[in-house]
Amino acid sequence: MAKGRHVNLSGAVMAVEGADAMVFSSDARWEMVDAITRETVTYGTYKYTLGDVLGDLTVKPLTGIPVAFAALYAFWSVFTSFAGALVTDGFMVKFFDGFWLPWMQSVWPDPASWHYFLFVGNPAADTCFEAFGMLTSGLFVSIGVVLPAVFVFYLMMTLLEDSGYLPRLAVLMDSVLHRIGLHGYAIVPIILGLGCNVPAVTATRILETKKQRFIMMTLLALFIPCGAQLGIMMSVLPDLVGIVMLCLIVGFCIFGFILNKVIPGENPEILVDVPPYHWPVKEYVAKKLWNRTMGFLKEAVPFVLFGILVVNLLYLGGVIQGLANLLEPVFVTWFGVPKETVGPLIAAFLRKDLAIAQLSTIPMTTYQMVASVVLVTIYFPCVATFVVMLREGWKELIAAIAVLFVVVFIYGGIIHGIGILLGVA
Amino acid sequence: MQIKLSDLPFGATAIVREIRTSAHNLNCMGLRIGKELKMVTKQPIKGPVVVLIGELEIAMGLETAEQIVVETTGTGA
Amino acid sequence: MTEGKAEKNIDLPEGGTIVLMLGNPNVGKSALFNRMTGANAVVSNYPGTTVDFMSGTFIESGHIYTIIDVPGTYSLEPRDAAEEVAVRMLRDHPDATVMVVLDATKTDRGLYVALEVMERGMPCIVAVNMMDAAHEKKITVDIAALQRLLGVPVVSTTATSGEGVRNLAEMLRKAQVADIGAIAERLHGEGQARESVRGCDGCGGC
Repeated sequence: MAKGRHVNLSGAVMAVEGADAMVFSSDARWEMVDAITRETVTYGTYKYTLGDVLGDLTVKPLTGIPVAFAALYAFWSVFTSFAGALVTDGFMVKFFDGFWLPWMQSVWPDPASWHYFLFVGNPAADTCFEAFGMLTSGLFVSIGVVLPAVFVFYLMMTLLEDSGYLPRLAVLMDSVLHRIGLHGYAIVPIILGLGCNVPAVTATRILETKKQRFIMMTLLALFIPCGAQLGIMMSVLPDLVGIVMLCLIVGFCIFGFILNKVIPGENPEILVDVPPYHWPVKEYVAKKLWNRTMGFLKEAVPFVLFGILVVNLLYLGGVIQGLANLLEPVFVTWFGVPKETVGPLIAAFLRKDLAIAQLSTIPMTTYQMVASVVLVTIYFPCVATFVVMLREGWKELIAAIAVLFVVVFIYGGIIHGIGILLGVA
Repeated sequence: MQIKLSDLPFGATAIVREIRTSAHNLNCMGLRIGKELKMVTKQPIKGPVVVLIGELEIAMGLETAEQIVVETTGTGA
Repeated sequence: MTEGKAEKNIDLPEGGTIVLMLGNPNVGKSALFNRMTGANAVVSNYPGTTVDFMSGTFIESGHIYTIIDVPGTYSLEPRDAAEEVAVRMLRDHPDATVMVVLDATKTDRGLYVALEVMERGMPCIVAVNMMDAAHEKKITVDIAALQRLLGVPVVSTTATSGEGVRNLAEMLRKAQVADIGAIAERLHGEGQARESVRGCDGCGGC
């Protein structure tokens, strides 16, 4: 190894830092890079391709913003028509409510027993939502409702990721995101978070400062619903999804703005490569889709079943009823939602989709439903997200949870206040 | 004519003359003194600036673009 | 945040060689990694897809290689936490062979970090990836000349189609330490022959 040797390339000054290796200054390195490329790379005349034209159109605001909205709308329509109407309503509901549930109710012995309550649930239920047993609601929610939704969602996300659209979307979103302590490239964890918050938390590493990562992680845990949750909302509360999303987006912006003011640290500007568009490679798309769907089946399905087990056990032990009575003042007077929502809030720690399914069976006014769905979304990250956040740093996790409780309390109150003002609460 | 990169009009080309902010990250992205670039777009409400440098298309914040001095070489079509 | 602890353990088989993949973001490292090891690393078209490392093994001519796919980085001065992972892996595996992956359409940008690695005196091999995209854009990279200048094996690859991947695997055993001084001399020599204005300053290098 060269020992601290000075090398001079066409007059550039070299900085020698280490004693055991030759170290160049970055200017000298760049000069070498230029010299190497001069010798080895030749650029031919290159014609603009369709991809480049599209690239320009989707990054310029005048055309890019309408395209972004069109993409969003297309995303939504495919999502609702395929997952909601075709698979879930057209097949899964008929199968689960028409055959599976009556069959389970008829063959499982002793409707009054604890095991009937755990596995099949309510013996008088007509739908798999109401039954709330592990093998009825559990399988229906995870496979009948959420699986088709996340499948479509993963497909669309994969196409977004593989085409090269994300960095362009980042450029378009930068003006907004830079004002809440982030920058445009934070769109990557946000989009990933709409699929699942777990990879999104790790993806915050592409942000430059601790401040940005903390804001992003906290906002992810608070305001970004995952694909499974969106899927079940589309299915059980199709009319309310819009207003719930509005509450979440407004909350995202308000609390992002506040966190940006409160948290010390820097918020560097966006600096990112915008890669050329590529046709997504079919085998990559298929592979990714397969991996993500299998991941869902392996991790989410057992969790949904386990979640139902835990909630049912807590009901059997009277814990949930006790908690509901204890928290009644907070829930009823501060948030304006019925005390029965305590059960779903506990389930939400395990699986948010399960919590929404459970909420949908509680009789509530429209306002109460919106408020409780928003609360379920923001109140706490699910256990899987919790674990990855812990991996990124326990201090940040504790701080994030502190912020979370404050935000849930304030925002829940604000929504209630608005509800009162509008005369719906 | 030497102007700030943020003032370069759409489609115009220019050569980078001076980087008044920390240059390392910009250099690593391919934006270096002496390189020719072309303005692709500037986003509204103080949004980022997108430039083309040879094969590279990079987006940077407006404040960064204000710290880069360029010499115009063409106005584009 | 995550410094100093390995999130995943890397099993090193007896007598194997560790190969660290390094290069700019979005040059196709994960795609190459998948091709070589049959693994399922996530591949996308945006910089920053890989934010953690992943390892896989393959056997070539009876020799076991453990390849580590790390997040892309523009230089060895990390800008974000993902780049930190890459730099940390390089530090934690000083005996590893480094496979520098370049994007053929953006060679210059990738060479910077390649030189930084070479300065550390680690054995290197260079993969010039995305040859198909370069071909489409009428960019040619003189692989032989690059190999001669750098003094380490240089292989052209297209990870999406698998072209050159086999060759890359075979060439791994020829990876060697680059002599950065010699590179400068070669460049200087060739540069001098072409451009007489670039005079020698009488440095210690030649």
